Amino acid sequence: MVRFLGFGFNGKKTKKQIKTIEELDRIAKKLIRRDLELSLIREKREKEFKEIEAKTKDLEEARKGLLNMLEDVAGSRREVEEERNKTLAIISNFTDGLLVFDEQKRLSLINPQAEKFLGIKSKKVIGKTISAIGRMSSLKGLVKLLGKEINPIFRKELEVKDDLVLEVSVLAISREEQIENLVVLHNITREKLVERMKTEFVSITAHQLRTPLSAIKWTLKMLLDEDLGKITEEQREFIEKTYQSNERMISLINDLLNVTRIEEGRYVYNPVLSNITKLVESLIDQYKDEISIKNINLEFKKPKKQLPKVLIDVEKINLAVQNLLDNAIQYNKLGGSIKISLKSNKKEIEFSIEDSGVGIPKKQEKRIFTKFFRAANVMRMDTRGSGLGLFIVKNIIEAHKGRIWFKSKERKGTIFYFTLPVPIYK
Amino acid sequence: MAKKILIIEDEKIICDLLERKLTREGYSVVIATNGIDGLVKMREDRPDIVLLDIIMPKMGGFEVMEEMNKDETLKDIPVIVVSNSGQPVEIDRIKKMGAKDWLIKTEFDPQEVLEKVKKQIGI
Repeated sequence: MVRFLGFGFNGKKTKKQIKTIEELDRIAKKLIRRDLELSLIREKREKEFKEIEAKTKDLEEARKGLLNMLEDVAGSRREVEEERNKTLAIISNFTDGLLVFDEQKRLSLINPQAEKFLGIKSKKVIGKTISAIGRMSSLKGLVKLLGKEINPIFRKELEVKDDLVLEVSVLAISREEQIENLVVLHNITREKLVERMKTEFVSITAHQLRTPLSAIKWTLKMLLDEDLGKITEEQREFIEKTYQSNERMISLINDLLNVTRIEEGRYVYNPVLSNITKLVESLIDQYKDEISIKNINLEFKKPKKQLPKVLIDVEKINLAVQNLLDNAIQYNKLGGSIKISLKSNKKEIEFSIEDSGVGIPKKQEKRIFTKFFRAANVMRMDTRGSGLGLFIVKNIIEAHKGRIWFKSKERKGTIFYFTLPVPIYK
Repeated sequence: MAKKILIIEDEKIICDLLERKLTREGYSVVIATNGIDGLVKMREDRPDIVLLDIIMPKMGGFEVMEEMNKDETLKDIPVIVVSNSGQPVEIDRIKKMGAKDWLIKTEFDPQEVLEKVKKQIGI
């Protein structure tokens, strides 16, 4: 367009024309520049548009993602809700009573069974501290057992009423960095009743059995002592065997009575300061006939210096050592050996008895202190024995706050150890 | 004069055996089969020693001891308990009531009863 205008005034250019041409030229240049600018702007817009398009796409994707996510969250929430309902249903219908205390020892949950056991309503206790709850008469016993700190306990008995005995356990549960305490109340009334009936039955039976057994014992003893007239050697032999059988029966009954007393918690301990070395010596002396009949070599390693006296129920410790010595003889081989030793440190006295007997089968080691348990190998060699001896020994030692353990190798022998604490004087 | 022993015991065979054992040693023996009978017999004829069972019909050994302790004429008679039971609580209780000794029948025999009697009152 500029060139076209130029042709029109060829050769005769006036000042005005020149000016016009210059003007036109300037405008044309401006237009060209604008054209350029416009195309740049267009390009930029197109670019921006593309970017927006890409972003929109991304946003769309994100939106879809978000929708999916929301759907997932709703699903999860449903699941959590269901799970929560399920847990609540379990807690509500659980046969054990459950209570949960939060970090501040406030009751945060109580299930219907616990309400029933303790005779309280949840709304009256929820949110209250253990100390506040302890002031309620129906909860005094439980709170006393739990203590203000509600430390973990395991299967402690609580007699709520005459006809309701609970077994209480406390577990610490940590949740979101908070420690809560779960109290489990398990009803053991029936078990206790059965146990008491069993104990009473054994106690009465054992007592009733002792009466005729002592009559038999006394009669046989008087026959043997010839208080009832002279007897022949043959008669003596038979009477003596009968006497021994009767003695075995008496000792079985005594074991049963001891076990019943242990279980009833009636195993009274009468502690006196005593010299254990003397006690062991006199027991060895009592067993010298049995030891020589089996030709056993017994060695008693006495301590070099005198042992400190220990606080013991002499009768019970005597019974414990006797049971261990009796086993070491009974399950030993002919011509075998027994080594007894006593030693002490500041804290305790340690007794040990090593035999060269049949040993305890590896598989049955765990059950050795269980009531009525007899190892397979001794059952084969000797049908006598109640399986109560070691149960009684363990109970006696533990009641004295001592420890008992053993090492054994089948067909080689066994070593039993026990300790008794040395009293501390302040 | 032979020393007198009163046996208070409901088990007849135990009484018979003890009577035999003790009379052979020269003691004079009287038998009562329950606590009430025992108290009557010790009031009639004061014995030198009483052998006392614990579990008996009508009146048991603990009650007999209580009655004896209340009675000025009886409270000095030495008592040896001869029982089937031997729980430490029971032994403690009866010793506090004044019994001189305690024998569990399944752990002792008539010879040992005789020795305990001799120790208390001589022959």
